[in-house]
Amino acid sequence: MSESATLPSAVAPARTSSSWEFWGRWLVVPYLLIFLVFVLYPVCYGLWLARHPESYVKLFEDPIFFRTAVNTLVFLVVAINVKMVLALLLSGFFIQTRWWIKIISALFILPWAVPSIPTILSVRFMLNPEWGVINSTIFRMTGLDGPNWLNDPTLALTFSMLMHIWKSLPFWTLILLAGRMAIPSDQYEAASVDGATTWQKFRFITWPSMKTLYLTSTLLSMIWTLGDFNSVYLLTGGGPADLTHVLATLGIRYLRLDQVDLAMASIVVALPLVLPLVYYMMKRLSK
Amino acid sequence: MASVSFHNIKKSFGKTDIIHGISFDIRDGEFVVLVGPSGCGKSTLLRMLAGLEDITDGEIIIDNTPVNDLEAKDRDIAMVFQSYALYPHMTVRENMGFSLRLRKANAQLMQERVAHAARILNLESLLERYPRELSGGQRQRVAMGRAIVRDPKVFLFDEPLSNLDAKLRVAMRAEIKELHQRLKTTTVYVTHDQIEAMTMADRIVVMHDGIVEQIGTPLELFDIPGNLFVAQFIGSPAMNVVKGDFKAGTQAVAAQGVQWPVPASLARHAGRTVHYGIRPSDMTLSTTQQGVPAQVVVVEPTGAETELLLHVGGSPLTLVMHGRTSVQPGDTVHLDIDVSKVHLFDGQTEQRLD
Amino acid sequence: MKRPFLKTVTTEAKLLLIGIPVLVWTLVPIYHMFLFAISARDSATSGRLWPQEPTLQNFDFVFHQKHFYLDHFWIQMGNSLLIALTVGFLTLLIATCAAFAISRLKVRGGRTVMNLALFTYFIPAAFLAVPMYKTMGLYGLLNSQWALILAMVTIASPYCIWVLKQASDKLPYELDEAARMDGASPMQLFFMVYLPLMVPSLVAVGTYSLLLAWNEYLYAFLLLSNDKSVTVAVALGNFLSADDSPWELLMTTGLIYAMPPAAIYYTFKRYMVSGLTSGAVKS
Repeated sequence: MSESATLPSAVAPARTSSSWEFWGRWLVVPYLLIFLVFVLYPVCYGLWLARHPESYVKLFEDPIFFRTAVNTLVFLVVAINVKMVLALLLSGFFIQTRWWIKIISALFILPWAVPSIPTILSVRFMLNPEWGVINSTIFRMTGLDGPNWLNDPTLALTFSMLMHIWKSLPFWTLILLAGRMAIPSDQYEAASVDGATTWQKFRFITWPSMKTLYLTSTLLSMIWTLGDFNSVYLLTGGGPADLTHVLATLGIRYLRLDQVDLAMASIVVALPLVLPLVYYMMKRLSK
Repeated sequence: MASVSFHNIKKSFGKTDIIHGISFDIRDGEFVVLVGPSGCGKSTLLRMLAGLEDITDGEIIIDNTPVNDLEAKDRDIAMVFQSYALYPHMTVRENMGFSLRLRKANAQLMQERVAHAARILNLESLLERYPRELSGGQRQRVAMGRAIVRDPKVFLFDEPLSNLDAKLRVAMRAEIKELHQRLKTTTVYVTHDQIEAMTMADRIVVMHDGIVEQIGTPLELFDIPGNLFVAQFIGSPAMNVVKGDFKAGTQAVAAQGVQWPVPASLARHAGRTVHYGIRPSDMTLSTTQQGVPAQVVVVEPTGAETELLLHVGGSPLTLVMHGRTSVQPGDTVHLDIDVSKVHLFDGQTEQRLD
Repeated sequence: MKRPFLKTVTTEAKLLLIGIPVLVWTLVPIYHMFLFAISARDSATSGRLWPQEPTLQNFDFVFHQKHFYLDHFWIQMGNSLLIALTVGFLTLLIATCAAFAISRLKVRGGRTVMNLALFTYFIPAAFLAVPMYKTMGLYGLLNSQWALILAMVTIASPYCIWVLKQASDKLPYELDEAARMDGASPMQLFFMVYLPLMVPSLVAVGTYSLLLAWNEYLYAFLLLSNDKSVTVAVALGNFLSADDSPWELLMTTGLIYAMPPAAIYYTFKRYMVSGLTSGAVKS
């Protein structure tokens, strides 16, 4: 006995009774309350705190702010692109069905699943110039002292980026993997029959299907990377000498120095970058 | 058991009028089928009766009580949905007993009612299964069981057989009809399939673009269609219709370069343009050279019958005959038309001419 | 079609060439943490791959709070747990109600609420931190665990509402209509039809918010300061400020702290992966 395909239901019709409307209204109230009290009000208050033009003058005159802006841009451009390209490559790796690849993929999720504090601290210790694993190994092998990793701003920032990539790569790999798995395998089979090479298959089948997902993921990742406080703060503390701050950590620095207006100003200054991204992501998702 | 009345029912979605004022009555215990093409408003009408849609204007009366302001659950109506809408996380037994459970009925009553419905529908061995373990036909029966347990005044069916394959549909049609004969509950049944309507209904309501075209028993609609739409909608294969001139003083309609015979009883309508209708089964192949000439295009033998697709002056025509024929595509044949079965409809209004 | 042997070997070799570095890269920080946890203070910093004399004494120190940095270890673990569970529960409650209202009851303005939620989800939490800190000060909640709980609920809810709404939309409306005809009130529909059918998504969403709260550092360290009310995350961060901190105990605590999320994640892996990846980016 077979069945023809089930017709999907039409849009839910309007409800006739007030009891349904009553519950509809009241069931969104908890979230609305949370939103009003803990999002809307703080945002408005924050903007109000950032209302003085002098804050911005002070902000732009602070050399640390300039350095932070540069760091943030470097972080965004380098870390995100490296991460996404790796995620794309690894999605091609993890889609292969081998028993040992399955094991690796199960372990691969760990950086994402475990909290970042202990892992970042672990790396920080690895980088300790005196007794960290890396320098100890260098000493044992060459008799030389390894560099003071976190004391060089460039190296320190690089390691923050590596930390960030380490943490977020699994998530994006999973996303792109899901995108890859959605591509019907018969397209690849047809291409094989037509004599396509691996690269051609990627260029003409995989990439066109994944282009949009890749782009959207990159943009979303930009928003989240801007908010990555832990990777910098726990590894370098923003140092040495406040040279590796990013926007996410700068606000806290000003807060600690009791310069709340500057803290808020530094956030407001980032909004022209963040808001268009947020708007774009919202459009894509609220379909 | 109850009667149902629709008084001038109108329905609009925003500015769009879907239903333009429908009135008719359903007698207690009747099996009424609402039939019509997609978008005619039949499902909307059913849902208004169920209480799932607001009524823009007019009144619906069940058993002498207006129900416009009553919630679905207070109307004492049970509905079988097109995709059955069985609760996936409940067993068949729980699905059927759900309405009683909501009313906090006692376990004894639930047990009895469910067992009773299961017996009628042959579901006794399936009571502990889950919907995903059942076939389409079985799910359909569970949906009906759920309705029966409610013991409602009216049963509503919303295209329940659309998701089943042809063979199963035929079997389920008979089951539903049998059920009705047994329970004698007033039933309103919606379908787009006129064969279902013809085989199951006590009376059929033919709907089109939000109005009622005609109401009658299946055979009434078949023999005396009130307008061109009903004539072509009811009956399969559809009635053959050609448009032509009924010249005054003749006993024939000129269409497609051919004379089509008209009965004397309709002679008074001469002198106008008409739609001339004749059902495929009301024509035969002439053994003489008399009759309407036609070219054979396709011959479709279905075993007991043969269906012929013909062309008359370029216009397609269908003929259904008993038995076999030696006629081949390309042959020219002559058609013997049963003049007593000719239908005429006004060229403009499309209304039946008697 | 049997592929030639050499081709198979090269393909496997290429895959291994990717796989092994990936594995090493993934595990190094975690293994390093583990290494420290099972080494005594001196040998931990020797740079060996496996300690000469692996020991469990660090765990003993941590569990028995035998160092002044660990004075409040158990209380802090308790705090982390309590806060995580409360956040998970509250978020689940709020998000489920909202998703039900928006998706099934089709409440007017549901679209707007959804958009508000999405907006909150996309704004980086770090940007909200300073205003949140000041606001909590205004509300008088600073240093109270409720500050962290409510902040985390605020951050976790939007995504949860979105995921639940997406999942809800997949349920056919005819189910609701059938239930209405059977006589269900909105609450009966919610408890007897909706919730049972949403269980996998509820698990994913509850686990997500629980883990989010457990793993949180920034908000925890901003909003809580008392040694007795902070979470393990903050305590670990505090270790850093001193020079003579017992590094191996720090790593041991970190390892202990990292295990529950890993365990929970692997237990609910099925729900998490499908529930959350389909949520983040709709392709």
